[in-house]
Amino acid sequence: MSESIKIKVTDLIGSPLCISAEDGQKVFDKVAKLLSERKSVTVSFENATMLISLFLNVAIGQLYDSFSEEAIRAQLKVEGLSSDDMELLKRVVDNAKRYYSNKESYDNAWLEEDDNEE
Amino acid sequence: MKLNLGTIRSDLSGFNGISNIAKQTKDSFLDSIELNFSYCSFFEANMAAPLYSVIARLRDELNDVSISNMQSRVETILRKNRFLNVFNQPKLIDYNQTTLPFKIFKLTAGEQFNDYLNRYMKGKGIPTMSKALTKRFRQSLLEIFLNAAIHSESGLGIFVCGQFYPQKHRLDFTISDAGIGIRENVRRYTRRKVNSCNAIKWALAEGHTTKSGSQPGGLGLKLLKDFVRLNQGKLQIVSNFAYYEFNADGESCDKMDYSFPGTCVNIEINTMDTNSYCLSSELNSNDIF
Repeated sequence: MSESIKIKVTDLIGSPLCISAEDGQKVFDKVAKLLSERKSVTVSFENATMLISLFLNVAIGQLYDSFSEEAIRAQLKVEGLSSDDMELLKRVVDNAKRYYSNKESYDNAWLEEDDNEE
Repeated sequence: MKLNLGTIRSDLSGFNGISNIAKQTKDSFLDSIELNFSYCSFFEANMAAPLYSVIARLRDELNDVSISNMQSRVETILRKNRFLNVFNQPKLIDYNQTTLPFKIFKLTAGEQFNDYLNRYMKGKGIPTMSKALTKRFRQSLLEIFLNAAIHSESGLGIFVCGQFYPQKHRLDFTISDAGIGIRENVRRYTRRKVNSCNAIKWALAEGHTTKSGSQPGGLGLKLLKDFVRLNQGKLQIVSNFAYYEFNADGESCDKMDYSFPGTCVNIEINTMDTNSYCLSSELNSNDIF
C-alpha cells in the first residue's frame, strides 16, 4: 500500500479544540474520501488541547457506517493522542461498531411508554 | 404579576420552586413579572443558571421581568456571581475568587465557553486539582455544553455558572438551557410516549442518542456518569418533570410537581480526588480499530 497521508486535525479545523460536531464532520469528510480511494491515512491530533466524544463520534465513529472494520484497521492510524484520549477513542469506536451492527434494536431497547405525568 | 420565590438550593425542592415560576407564567406575554425574593433566605449560587432558563423564556415572550425584596445575603451571592448583571445591577468583586460567574452563551460558542473555563478555573480560590481531574472535568463540561447546543433547539442560549465550596472541597458547575427538554427529544426519536424520568434513563444508557442522521453518539452522559462515580461526586439532571440524581449512594429519579422548561445539568466534583483516570495499558491504533 502507498505511503500514509497525514491529516493534521488542528490545521484542518483551525483550532486546537476538537469539540464541535461541525469540525468533526470536516475531519470525517477528508478521511472518508481518502479511505474510499483505498489510501492509507494517519489522523494526527498533535497540538490538540481538548478532545471530546461528541467530536470523535462524528470524525471517526461515523466511518463504521461506510467502511468495514477490516478496511479501517488496514488503512487508518491515529497519532498524537495521550493515553487517556486513546482510551476515549477506543470507547467511541466500540460504541460505533455496536451501533452500526444493530442500529434498530440499539435505539429501541427497553423503552417503556408512560405518558401520565402532566 | 407578583410571584414569590422561596429558599433555593440545588435539590428537588429548589428545582420545584424555580419550575413553579415557569408554571405560573406559562401563558404570560407582554406582562410585567416581579420575582419577590422576600421569602428567599438562601440561594445557592449555581441555581442562577436554571432560574435564568425560566427568565429567558419570559423575556422571549416580551415580558418585563424584575426582582424585588432580595435579602442582603442573597444579593451578595448573586452580585458576586454576576447573575444580577442581567437585572442591570453592578457586580460585586469576588475577593475569594471562588465563583465561576453566571454567563449566557450562544449555542455556537463552544470555543468561548472553553475560554471562559480557562479564565475562571484558575481563580485563586479554586483549588489546584490534579492534572487528570482538571482534564476530565473540563472534558465533561464541554460534553454537556456541546450536547445542549445540539439537542436544546433553543435560540435563547446556554446559561452557566459555578461555585467552589472550600470547606467541603466541592466544586459545583451548572449548565442550563431553555430548550425542548430530554423527554421531547426521546419522544421524537423513538416515537414513544415516554415520561421524563424514563427519557433521562434512556439518554444515560451507553450509545443512546437522539442525534439526527446516521451517526453514533450517546456517550457524553455515560462518560459523565462514569467520571462522577470515580470521583465520588454528584450529578443532577433536571428536565421537564424529572429530577435525576446520581451520587455515592446510588441513583434516583423523582417526579417534580412542575415542569422545568428546558434541561439543566449540575455536576459537583470532589476536588481532592487523585485518580489517574487512565488504564495502565498503553493503547495503539491496532488495539482501537
